[in-house]
Parts: sequence; C-alpha cells; structure tokens
Amino acid sequence: MAGFTREVAYRIFAQELRDTTVALERDSDDAYAPQYVLTPTGAKVNRVFVVGTLTEKEDIGTDTEYWRARISDPTGASFIYAGQYQPDATRALVDATVADADAETPEFLAVVGKVSIYTTEDGNVLTSLRPETISIVDAETRDRWVLETARQTLDRIKRLEDGSSENLAMVEEHYSLDLEQYRQMVVSALESLV
Amino acid sequence: MIQETSEQIRKRFLELNVEIESHEIERRLKDLIERFKVPAPEAGRSVVSYFLREHDIKREDYYGTPEGGTASSMQIADINESEQWVNLRAKVTQLWESTSPSIAQVGLIGDETGTIKFVKWAKSNLPALVEGKSYSLENMTTDEWQGRFSVKMNRTTRISELDEEIVTPDQEAQLVEIDAINESNKWVNLRAKVVQLWESEHESIDQIGLIGDETGTIKFVKWTKSELPALVEGKSYSFENLTTDEFEERFSVKFNKGSSIEELDEDIEVGFTATEFAGTMVHIQDGSGLIRRCPICNRALMKGTCMEHGNVDGDHDLRIKAVLDDGERVQEALLNREITESTSGITLDDAKEMAVDALDQGVVLDEMKKRLLGRYYTMAGRVLDRYLLVESVIPMDAVPHSEIDALLAEVT
Repeated sequence: MAGFTREVAYRIFAQELRDTTVALERDSDDAYAPQYVLTPTGAKVNRVFVVGTLTEKEDIGTDTEYWRARISDPTGASFIYAGQYQPDATRALVDATVADADAETPEFLAVVGKVSIYTTEDGNVLTSLRPETISIVDAETRDRWVLETARQTLDRIKRLEDGSSENLAMVEEHYSLDLEQYRQMVVSALESLV
Repeated sequence: MIQETSEQIRKRFLELNVEIESHEIERRLKDLIERFKVPAPEAGRSVVSYFLREHDIKREDYYGTPEGGTASSMQIADINESEQWVNLRAKVTQLWESTSPSIAQVGLIGDETGTIKFVKWAKSNLPALVEGKSYSLENMTTDEWQGRFSVKMNRTTRISELDEEIVTPDQEAQLVEIDAINESNKWVNLRAKVVQLWESEHESIDQIGLIGDETGTIKFVKWTKSELPALVEGKSYSFENLTTDEFEERFSVKFNKGSSIEELDEDIEVGFTATEFAGTMVHIQDGSGLIRRCPICNRALMKGTCMEHGNVDGDHDLRIKAVLDDGERVQEALLNREITESTSGITLDDAKEMAVDALDQGVVLDEMKKRLLGRYYTMAGRVLDRYLLVESVIPMDAVPHSEIDALLAEVT
C-alpha cells in the first residue's frame, strides 16, 4: 500500500496529443515504473481523461476483436485501440453509436486511458489511447471537460512562459516551444462552446 | 585507494605483531578489485581474512579494537555519526518483530539521554536481550539511514547485564492528543476510539487500523507477540505506553508488551478533517456495487467468506469505492449505501432484483460504472486515511457561459 499513488488523468486536447512525440525513458530499476510521454505544453503524462464525439469505429482484429475508434474534440481527433485486454472499455465501445447527423440526442464518449506513442515504418510518430474505462456522457459533461481542459492547458502554457514549469528544460530540448499555436487552440476550443 | 586500504591493513597487522609486505597486500587487493570487479570494501575484507588465516589470528582480535583504539563510551544523544564504534549502558525498552531471518533481535534501547534503534544480527551469536533489562553493550557500530541513527551489534559485541537499572526519561509516557504527535520513538498515552480495523497483511501483526480522538486520527499497529486484548471497532479505550513511529511524514503508534489497554465507558468523539473534492469519477474499484457483509462483524465478504468468521450468510449492502480526479490530484472516495443509492439512482432493492434477473451480482457494478464514470461531481465528507467518507454528492451543473467568457477574456 505504501508508496503507491495512482497516476493523475491529465486533461489534454486532441491537437496537443497528436503533436506529442516524446516518450520519456522508463526507470529501468523499477519494473513497475509507469511510461510517461511529454506533451508540447510540458505535461508529463501517463494517463489522460478525454471527452469527445465518436466519429469512427472499426473492428480491425483478425482472430479476436480489436477495435480502432476515433474520438474528436473541438481541436482534432485521437485514435483509441481496445481489445480483449480492456474488456469493459471494449464492450462500451461496441455499444456506443458513431456520431451521426440523424441522431436525436448527441452522444459523447468519456475515456480514461493511457497514452502510447509509436513510430510507423515510414517514420511518422503517432499517438493513441489505450482505454481503461469508456462511458457515454451528455453534452454538459463534454462542455465541462472542454472548459477544464482549456483552463489546465493555459496553466501549463503560463508555467512554461514564466519558467515555473518543472518540465521546461525537457520541453525546450524536444519541442519548438511555439506556444502561441496552443493558445490559439484553447481559444478555438472555448469559442466552440459559446 | 588500493594503497590506502593496503596501508591500513598493514598497520593493523603490525599492531598484532605480524609484519606483511605492502606489495603482497596490494597485489591481492588489486587482483580482486581490477580483475574480479569486487567492490573495494569487500576486497579489503577478503584480503584481511586471508592473512588472518595465514597467521592464525582470530577475527575478533583484528576487528575488536579498530584502528588501534577502543570503542568509545558514549551516551545515546551523542551519537551523530555512522560507522563509529561505541559502548553504551542502556536499557532495552522495546523489542520489535524481526523482519528478516538475518536479524536475531531488533528494537529500541534507551539511556538517560534518549533512545536509539538497535539491530542484532543472527550471525553474531550473541545472547538474547530481554525487554526491560539494562545492559552494558560494548563494541557496537553506529549506522545512519535518512538522518536517523541506529546501533548494530556484531560478533565482537560484548553484552553484560547490569545490576542497576538505567533510567530512560522517555519511558515516562505522557498523555497526549493525537494531533500533538509529531516525533517518532516517543512514549505516549492516548484516550481514543478505534475508528477502523484493517485486514492484517502479516501474521506478525495482530491488529492494525485507525484510532481517533477529538483532535484527529492516527494509524496503529499491534503486534501478535505483545499478546494484548483484541480491540473492537467503535469502542473507546485508554491506551498506555505506546510508542510513536513515522514513515514518509505520517505518524503511527505501536503497541508493545508494556502497553496497556483499558476500555472506557465514555464514547470519544472523533474529530475529522472535513473536506470537499470536485473532479471526475475516473475509476470504480473492485468491491463496489452490490456486496455482502458479515452479519457478525459487518466486514465485506470476499467470495462469500468473512476473513474473521468464515462462511456466513451475508447481508446485502451497496457501496462504491470511487477514484475522483481533477486533472491535478486524485482522491479515493467511499460512498455508503445511502449515498450510493442517491448518486447512482439504484436502490438496494433495485440492485437485488437486477442481480437475481441476471443471476450475477456483477451487473450492478457494471450499471453503476455506466452511470457514473466520466461524470463530474463535488463530494464532501471527512477524510479518513486514504478515503474521503462521502456525506454529500452534488453532480456538477452545466457550465455557465460567464465562466467560458471569463477564460476567453483571459487568453485573448
């Protein structure tokens, strides 16, 4: 019991997740050390909480079911992969309906999951989410998530700018530190709510 | 490095009237360190052992009085350096459960100036120390870990019982309030109520849990060896002669053979820190949903079995052990039946019906996950160790436009 603390679920917009290319090295002395990624605004993330619209889902598994889904927020889309090792999340994904203009009430997916980064054969770095839980939530919850994610993203930008972010050096090493684009991202996300 | 070690060894043997050539020592050290990659201190030991055998000298004679001097007689409060050889006159104030087969005895010894932890290695073949007796302890080494000192007894240590009794001021336990506990290795008396008993994870621990008084709560550990009466959850007691301990800045109290427990007639009101946490429910832990409790002790059953009372016909109950997360912190929250019912909209009767229909009580937890995960709540209650004991839950309303506008104004 002692010493174990659960990883916080960071609030990160899809655009920032898509731009995330840095997987931090795991502590090799600790077999249970979590895998972290570093986002362009300086969040050191193992787990995220995202809310968005389900825009695509497809069973790409060969022998067993393995689902790939796209979930969109006001800034972009993220890929989710769920299979037999995430039974609860997979079931929720199977039950969820893909957003559709004819749907009477819009449905949003709330996803808690781990971020992973992989490099494709042609050298592209892609991020995806491995969900732990997926639930279907309403528009109010989505709105609150957008507001909360906007606020926390802005906080991270400010901490990079005033030098108080503990991850500043790492961000400088790996990213261009062009924070204006993320400030614009926050603005457009907030404007989508009004 | 090699030369220094070699010189030390040469000198020490010289004191024992044995002359060894420096290059002979150096060659052996070098071989071990450079060729066999043995750590330097280990190489030193090994080389010393070799020459001891060679010249038929006892280990004790070599190590007994290090560096030509003798261990210095000290008082406990004066110990402020590790790897010193010391003699103490002290009383064994506490014996703890040894956590390793390599440790024969471990506990606390004390003199007029304070108390210190001691470790006696199984290998050192020393006589057993008895709690409450005073001894002259010669040739121990000091050690330090995270700023706290201890003494180690080794095979050269001499233990002789004293006729007189060493007075340890700390033995005079003071009646204190729980929030005043801010130091480890202190003797205290408490008047407190047993708030929670936890599952003991080790057979050496008889009972473990939380006790509380008006000022707060604290973890306690009661060793099986100390043979004290069993504590009952919800009852208030007067506790005497407990010792305090600290781990990662959190304090606890430990019972020992000298502790006493007396049940009180009064009911001590336990003070908790009221708190509030607003965040998303990101996880619901196992053991949530429709559960069964032991009709005798009220503990949640695991696979129909009570840890204490075995196979029993459990009573149904509802609860949720949730994890709330606001993007910066996580908080575990415990929702009792009433709060679970009002938050999930599933009553105990609904839950039983659902379980009967599905022939599986897991469906209740599944439905609760569906209804609650990913939603925002403000939960208020008292914090008890890791858990927020939830007394009220408010689902968060729709986001007011003014908040969005205010944030927009801040960015643009």
